[in-house]
Amino acid sequence: MNLNDPRHPWARLTAAARTVQDDRDTAAPYGFATRVSALAMADKRGVSSLFERFALRALAVACLLTVGTVATNYSVVSSFFSNRDEAMSVPNSGGEDPVAELIDVASNVTID
Amino acid sequence: MPDDDLPFDVAGCLQRVRQRDQAAARELVDHLYPLVIRIVRSHLPRRVPEEDLAQEIFLKMFTRLEQYQGAVPFPHWVSRIAVTTCIDHLRAQKRRPEFRMADLSETEADVLSNVMTNENEVPANDAMAAHELVHKLLDQLKPDDQLVIRLLDLEQKTIAEISAQTGWNQSLIKVRAFRARRKLQKLFQELQKKERS
Repeated sequence: MNLNDPRHPWARLTAAARTVQDDRDTAAPYGFATRVSALAMADKRGVSSLFERFALRALAVACLLTVGTVATNYSVVSSFFSNRDEAMSVPNSGGEDPVAELIDVASNVTID
Repeated sequence: MPDDDLPFDVAGCLQRVRQRDQAAARELVDHLYPLVIRIVRSHLPRRVPEEDLAQEIFLKMFTRLEQYQGAVPFPHWVSRIAVTTCIDHLRAQKRRPEFRMADLSETEADVLSNVMTNENEVPANDAMAAHELVHKLLDQLKPDDQLVIRLLDLEQKTIAEISAQTGWNQSLIKVRAFRARRKLQKLFQELQKKERS
């Protein structure tokens, strides 16, 4: 006998159980909707304001710090860039083309 | 306070809620509370107060409101949140207590003994005991299977209605129903053996 058979104990138990009426009130308890809606709105506001507060303020502070740091260390920064330009410049020995010299060196290399 | 004679304008209310209108949010909760509380009461996990569970469901609803695209009616969408929240709580309880005759009340034990030994209907005055007994037997099943059997056998919903309420596809519901019935059948066979011995 399977469970769908009306003579099965399960079918008779569920048939009896279905006759039990749940007469409890289904309306929201007093203050429930107010509490839940307030919590929901507070939660939404919290998330957006957290982002605004932290992200935008952090960006502003970061910009200020950068400008302040560059201003107070301007001499160091400018000398770093001028030195870097000097270091990057390749001395041109004898007025020859450095690319031509490089090709010349490469052509003299023999592979065993 | 909304007028009870007029049908509730869900779309209009949702629009106002999205504009952060707290009064609209309150109206929405009041309107949906009967639906949510019925689901909560029929699948209520042990030791969880129904109001706490209802509150959790509504807060989830508001948090996910932006995800609602209108593909299904709004009450169906909310009932899915309610069902999955109840199942999550049932899963969190993990261990299902073993079904023991010693845990049944005297009336419940009598009702069980009667249905196992004869083919008579359960008397009307034992309906409450039968109701309790059914829930204790259902506690032996996995949360998803419990839900399917409750909806099929107690609330007598169709597979299509269960699919709409849970969001599960119909094949999955049939598989869960089959698995749950097999487990219940096994449980009854064990009980019958005990009864005979």
